[in-house]
Amino acid sequence: MRVTAETQAATRERILVASSDLFAARGFEATTTRDIARAAEIGAGTVFNYFPSKEAIVASLAAAAVAEAHAEFARRDLEAESPQEALFAFVAAELRKLKPLRKHLPAVLETVLSPLAHNEGEDGRWLRVPHLETVSRLCHRQGFKELSPVALQLYWSLYTGLLQFWASDSSPRQEDTLALLDHSLEMFVGWLEGRPAEASGQSEEK
Amino acid sequence: MPTIAELIRALPGEGEPAAALPQPLAAASMRPVPVGRLRRMGLLGTLQAKIAAAYLFYWVRGYFRGAQEKEKLLAETHWRTALRMLDSMGYLKGAIMKIGQMLGNLPEIVPSEFVETLDELHYTAPPMHWSLLSEMVHNELGNDPENLFASFERRACAAASLGQVHRARLRTGEDVVVKIQYPGIARTIGEDFRNLSLFLLPGRLGKDWDNVKSQMDDLRLRLEKEADYEAEAAMLTRARPLFREADGILVPRVYPELSTARILTMDRIPGVHLEEFLQRKPSQEQRNEAGRQLLRAWYRLFFAGRLFYADFHPGNFLFLEDGRLGLLDFGFMLPLDPELWQLLYRMDRALTTGRREDLATAVKEWSWITEDPSDADRLRLSVEYADWCWSARYCGGEFDFGDEADFVRGAALFGEMAGKRYSRSRPCTATVARQQFGCRSMLYRLKAKIDVRAVCEEEIKAADWDRRSYT
Repeated sequence: MRVTAETQAATRERILVASSDLFAARGFEATTTRDIARAAEIGAGTVFNYFPSKEAIVASLAAAAVAEAHAEFARRDLEAESPQEALFAFVAAELRKLKPLRKHLPAVLETVLSPLAHNEGEDGRWLRVPHLETVSRLCHRQGFKELSPVALQLYWSLYTGLLQFWASDSSPRQEDTLALLDHSLEMFVGWLEGRPAEASGQSEEK
Repeated sequence: MPTIAELIRALPGEGEPAAALPQPLAAASMRPVPVGRLRRMGLLGTLQAKIAAAYLFYWVRGYFRGAQEKEKLLAETHWRTALRMLDSMGYLKGAIMKIGQMLGNLPEIVPSEFVETLDELHYTAPPMHWSLLSEMVHNELGNDPENLFASFERRACAAASLGQVHRARLRTGEDVVVKIQYPGIARTIGEDFRNLSLFLLPGRLGKDWDNVKSQMDDLRLRLEKEADYEAEAAMLTRARPLFREADGILVPRVYPELSTARILTMDRIPGVHLEEFLQRKPSQEQRNEAGRQLLRAWYRLFFAGRLFYADFHPGNFLFLEDGRLGLLDFGFMLPLDPELWQLLYRMDRALTTGRREDLATAVKEWSWITEDPSDADRLRLSVEYADWCWSARYCGGEFDFGDEADFVRGAALFGEMAGKRYSRSRPCTATVARQQFGCRSMLYRLKAKIDVRAVCEEEIKAADWDRRSYT
């Protein structure tokens, strides 16, 4: 039983590594599941035993990258002077890890990451939930009470919009994405601060 | 001097209550720089941005107005307006702020309080937050500031019009400053100018519109160049060997491995700006020597380096405790091509003899003035103005730059020229005029007494300038 689980994990990993290489070399659209199976040295149909679609593979790669980013971010001694600064540092840490997947993100932005997604799937949850928990925690540390579902939904819309922009950002070293992130967070925090205290959950002492 | 935010808060409620004023600059620091033409047009629709644009328009329109009218307009533009403009420029952080600096160096058209306020802006504009800054460093240099440097101050020590400056220490021990550009700002300069051109459209029917437009284009090109820190690094590297230790003039060394088109790492020069230098109540001789150093630096770059140091404002110079002078910003340099160099060589003859006919020949060539009788007044005025600009040099002997009457005379001449639409000239004239006023304004504030000819001749000799063809 144990061997089977290990074999399964190894096969899954092989699929992810092969996909990552192929997406990087050929792009998401030009890569087929048949190509992935061949590179991972498994049968063509076997891929679907692990991932229902190519998009699910990207979601899984993204979830792993984001988990790594969160672990690194948690170890950091963050000295943010404002909510924007704290949130900026967090999102920027994710972007660094997601960079190899940048151009393939639209595949998951329209599905598991979409603010409108009904069924985000396991990887989708892994991408969304820890991220929003960290956002809530950072905002709380900066003087806000728990963020309302509306605030979180608004934030998520801005965040996925940023990822969408980033995916096709042609500015040098995607510097426009940094400006957009700065702008988006300014807007979000301004919205939090601008609302009546009881509605936004903004603490009295803020 | 109080902070800009304090000044804004202290404004009397003329027109609108203070509470409705734009947020103070401290808050503006968190506002991102908008990218994209439409959004920026939206910004220019706000009250304070209109005022900023109005100032620019005023500057250009000055060419179309009589002196009396100018005074009237000046009275209308109270220095409160300047403060609001600062707020607007702090928001845009791009070319408009740079234009503010230009206005700051044209004392003949702006109230003195405005000039002083803009001086402040040269080094106290609001910072980007650390997370963004750190990410820019990582983006450009491939690692975080704390890994690249032995230490890196989180707070900016100065504002650059397109970014900000931080103190740091290299792993090898050198104290440096790191100039970092706001992401995307370099590409917004073109957008800024296109937007401003729309505001200036009413002036297009004026007689000299083409000329004004070409001068605006000239400024835009130079600003775009200034946004390229790689180009600035190249200029610093070219200028630095022109000065020896004994000269007492410092040009910072660039660290190319820690510099890119958006980040510039260079030696930190420990000195104070003009305002602080003056607050220390330097002796007359210290003032004179500071003035001599300013001129020496400028002439050295010009004669030996064939470089025109155009960005002549107090934020770009540091006065050291031991009397040395530090030059800071090499973004706005005009390398003199052979054609321009030859022209300036011919100009030098007039500046050497000081003869009226030589001055007339020089200004005719510079400003394309013809023998036509309709150009006679323009020629007279241009010669008068050239005489004001350069008499200190060709007369020789000690010249008192603190002479207020003389300074006002020059400003009046410039105003008259502008009022009579005598602006038709070479595209670089705006740059040259800015430099001249910037330099005179600093020497005036220093109240320096200097033998300009002695300083200049020394530099000419050192550069081995050959004057034999004059005769």
